[in-house]
Amino acid sequence: MGEMIKGNHAIAEAAVRFGARLYAGYPITPSTEIMEYISWRMPEVGGAFVQAESEIAGINMVIGGAACGVRSFTASSGPGISLKQEGITQLYDEELAAVIINVVRYGNGIGTLYSAQCDYLRETRGGGNGDYRPIVLCPSSIQEAVDLLGVAFDLSEKYRTVAVLMTEGALGQMMEPCDLPEFIEPKRYPWGFDGKYSYKKVGIFERDSMKEAVAMNEKNAVIKENEQRWADVDVEDADYVFVSFGLPGRSTEGAVEELRKAGHKVGIIRPITAWPFPEKAFEKVNPNVKGFISVEANATGQMVEDVALTVKKKFSDNKPVYSLAYVYGIPEMEKIQKDYEKIAAGEIKEVF
Amino acid sequence: MKEIVFAGFGGQGVLTSGLIVSEIAVSNGMNATWIPSYGSAMRGGTANCTVKFGNGRIFNPAQEKPDVLLAMNTPSFNKFIDTVAPNGTVIVNSDMVEYDPKVREDVKYVDVPCQTLAKEINHSKGANIIMTGVILKSIGEFTDQQAIDGMNAMFDKKGKGKFKEMNTKALKIGLTQI
Repeated sequence: MGEMIKGNHAIAEAAVRFGARLYAGYPITPSTEIMEYISWRMPEVGGAFVQAESEIAGINMVIGGAACGVRSFTASSGPGISLKQEGITQLYDEELAAVIINVVRYGNGIGTLYSAQCDYLRETRGGGNGDYRPIVLCPSSIQEAVDLLGVAFDLSEKYRTVAVLMTEGALGQMMEPCDLPEFIEPKRYPWGFDGKYSYKKVGIFERDSMKEAVAMNEKNAVIKENEQRWADVDVEDADYVFVSFGLPGRSTEGAVEELRKAGHKVGIIRPITAWPFPEKAFEKVNPNVKGFISVEANATGQMVEDVALTVKKKFSDNKPVYSLAYVYGIPEMEKIQKDYEKIAAGEIKEVF
Repeated sequence: MKEIVFAGFGGQGVLTSGLIVSEIAVSNGMNATWIPSYGSAMRGGTANCTVKFGNGRIFNPAQEKPDVLLAMNTPSFNKFIDTVAPNGTVIVNSDMVEYDPKVREDVKYVDVPCQTLAKEINHSKGANIIMTGVILKSIGEFTDQQAIDGMNAMFDKKGKGKFKEMNTKALKIGLTQI
């Protein structure tokens, strides 16, 4: 077992070890420690660190790094990620690989500093213009955040797409033991600009959007088939199955363990990829399950829509889907258990 | 699994105190989580953190029902007293906190004049270390030597090993308060 380390610091150190050699961004709570750490760490390994004049400048520098075939990434939170959207959709359009870390904080507009999961729909649907889908990975522990960061770099390069590590404010600020990865040798990827105009030409007028759409859908289909990730517990005989990711997912896993001890037949699917949503996880679930319960840290219930769409696809008998949206923070295990009892007693109605 | 809340004014060392306990747990092969006060409270001058540790997996790292509350000032006592688990322990900085023990009659109070004790050993910044000792003794999970070694290893890693002698002295005072 590794040493105690803060989530944001672990992510920053892991990025360096995974061979990332360009970071450009602009500070914002609760993501700032990533940038602060990288500011002294990146020069030690010969990489580039830029505190950009704005988020928009920062993401465009990441486009530059990716265009040169260098592992490039940025980190921000809530409104900072909003500002980066035009660069993120551009990365996707040019099929440049990059990793975006969103240390999610709660709220609309300028929002708050509370830890939350309110950016689920924005991240999984692609927050910029167009209809692209980045790969979205959502860790529930510092160790998982570190491990998934490596997966994010690998998948972004394998599929030439944007990968988002969607963590949470509390996960960035907390500490727990974590084993850091071994160093890998950074390499320049051959798909970077080579100075010979051999790279795919992207422009407004000279492109075949019909052909590109077919290729994009094919790529999405391959990612959906191959890259669904999740953890599940006790779903095969469950009367009710929780679906929850990140820190609320971890708390829900604890609630499931307690409910089982008390004789309730419950299980949990904890999505690790939010996109592609782990539809395959639902194939293992008891066919006679009475309902699904989405547990999230946002106000309106966002992932619950993906749960409902998947339930519609995988079951023919219109099973109810419930939403426990705890707004911000990490829901207490006891609170989840009590709300489960209300659902089982019919006191909380389904939303789908 | 044990849950401890460390609360006080910014500068009273509650975050460090929490970190010491979590490091001692990890250095003795346990799991631990440390999560600071987070959000607007960070700007208001008060600070707190929650530490959980034990041999099994820690599910929710956030504050739920602490077995032990460290209250270094009155606002912290008032904020957290209702959350303490039944039969839990409340460790109070009696140099600064006035309270009515009737607010919770199902918990144990331990009054420690940690600022006075710290001054007596000429280590005025060591009040939090003294309280760390009290907490560790109250939990009873670690030997005195495990506690001292874990704390010193933590400060060594932070490049603050030179205060080892003073900190050890402070921790030992805390360990003898119960």
